[in-house]
Amino acid sequence: MNTETASPRYNYYEILEVSTNAAQHEVTTAYERARSTYSGENPAIYTIFSEREARELLLLIEEAYSVLGNKTLRNIYDQRLLGHAAQNQDLSYQSILQASRQVFTEAKAEAKRPAFQKDADFEKQIATQSTWTGDFLKKVREYKNITVDQMSQKTKINSYYILAIEEMNPSHLPAIVFVRGYVVQIAKELQLPEKAVADSYMAHYKQVTKS
Amino acid sequence: MDLTFHGRNQKTEPQVWVVTSGKGGVGKTFVSTSFALTLSKLGHSVLLVDLDLSGANIHTSLGLKPSHLNIRHYFEGQKALHEITIPTPHPRVSYIQGYWDTWAPADLSPVNTTHLFQDLKSLKYDYIIIDSGLGASEKYLEIFKAADEKIFVTSTEPTSIEKTYRFIENYICYSLKEKTSAESYAGLLKTLRNHRQGLLDQPFSFKSYLKESEGFTLEPFLNLSKQPIRLVVNSVRSHNFATLGYSIKSVCYKYYDLNIDSIGCLDYDNAVWQSINNREHVLLSQPFTPLAGQFLGMCKHLIDPEELRAVV
Repeated sequence: MNTETASPRYNYYEILEVSTNAAQHEVTTAYERARSTYSGENPAIYTIFSEREARELLLLIEEAYSVLGNKTLRNIYDQRLLGHAAQNQDLSYQSILQASRQVFTEAKAEAKRPAFQKDADFEKQIATQSTWTGDFLKKVREYKNITVDQMSQKTKINSYYILAIEEMNPSHLPAIVFVRGYVVQIAKELQLPEKAVADSYMAHYKQVTKS
Repeated sequence: MDLTFHGRNQKTEPQVWVVTSGKGGVGKTFVSTSFALTLSKLGHSVLLVDLDLSGANIHTSLGLKPSHLNIRHYFEGQKALHEITIPTPHPRVSYIQGYWDTWAPADLSPVNTTHLFQDLKSLKYDYIIIDSGLGASEKYLEIFKAADEKIFVTSTEPTSIEKTYRFIENYICYSLKEKTSAESYAGLLKTLRNHRQGLLDQPFSFKSYLKESEGFTLEPFLNLSKQPIRLVVNSVRSHNFATLGYSIKSVCYKYYDLNIDSIGCLDYDNAVWQSINNREHVLLSQPFTPLAGQFLGMCKHLIDPEELRAVV
């Protein structure tokens, strides 16, 4: 039996001996049966397959299951095997794997795309800003398109406190040490230099509490 | 549920099931008598025919005395089949005694076999179960080929499994032989021999060989898969062998391009030899043995596979 180039002669479904519409658990059962048939000392292959042939079959079985046992890879394989343009499709393992990588890198790139419109002037203003007040933190947050709720979810700070920090309203906020911690958290989330922001903010905040 | 009405009764022509094996002692007679008793429990009428020319023993398996009225009379032309049919104490089961009082068994030539099947088909039974002889000799292959259901029994021992494959190879070749010329057939045998010795540079496949070689058509080979051999794995002593039937099926598919049907495995049960020592059938002396359920499942699968289909 020629196992080197078996892929064109037998498709993965034929190797595992399941129908193309087999459910996922049937594929797994078939794989387990096939593996027990062609590995070890199964009496069923006695006088039929040599040890080497059985090992080669086992490799094919593993390859078939690594595609059919994985939903994404099986989808790609199915499209190529059964789709309308079924002729001349590359059914090799490498090509299926490559196709699946393309699917996933695209998805990742999408997730990383910035969710806000860049504004060069404002970016410059952020970079050079030395006095940080609640007002300006609010501006940066709105510029980066983050709502108070989202900020609260990320930083685990109650949204009530976030609003109070932006308003610089001491009557709504706990002791000073906690406030500093909140500001550091928010600055981190907004990708600002958190130490400079916290120092400047706390200086202003102390003035507010005095008056 | 009414087990006694199963549709087949209206059909006039009986279904012929042939039970055979590659090796002796794997439980051919046990399987045929058990099928007969199970089918009778399902309400079908059954005729058991003992065609094992090496010595009959269905009567022993059923706990009966051998009869002088036996199949010899049919082959010698003295009696018709219905005249040598012997009723049994079990409802709806009759049997035809095999040879036990002659030392020159009949020649089961293909012509004889054709006649036998014609005569059997004219009898009024739902099922006729033939307990055939073992091995791949031509006379048994001919009976096997003519059967409506071809049941093949193997045990889990390597000796038996090896002979299973030899039988299947012989069966394929025998089925192809009459569809081609002697020359092409000799060519096939030569290629097969080289394949076995590892002398071929190309992988051998029946499908591609029959497609490419002169004098062959693919159809007779494909028909073998349409009326598949039904494999029964007997005396399974360990759960490691519970999937042996599927493994053999898989090997047949990968090596011969042949579909066979693994219809089930039978547990090893001490009750079997204990019962036969008392000249009783285990399904009658111990009707609640797990084997009873296993036979019931197999019979239902063969009678009506749709009925058993699991809903997942």
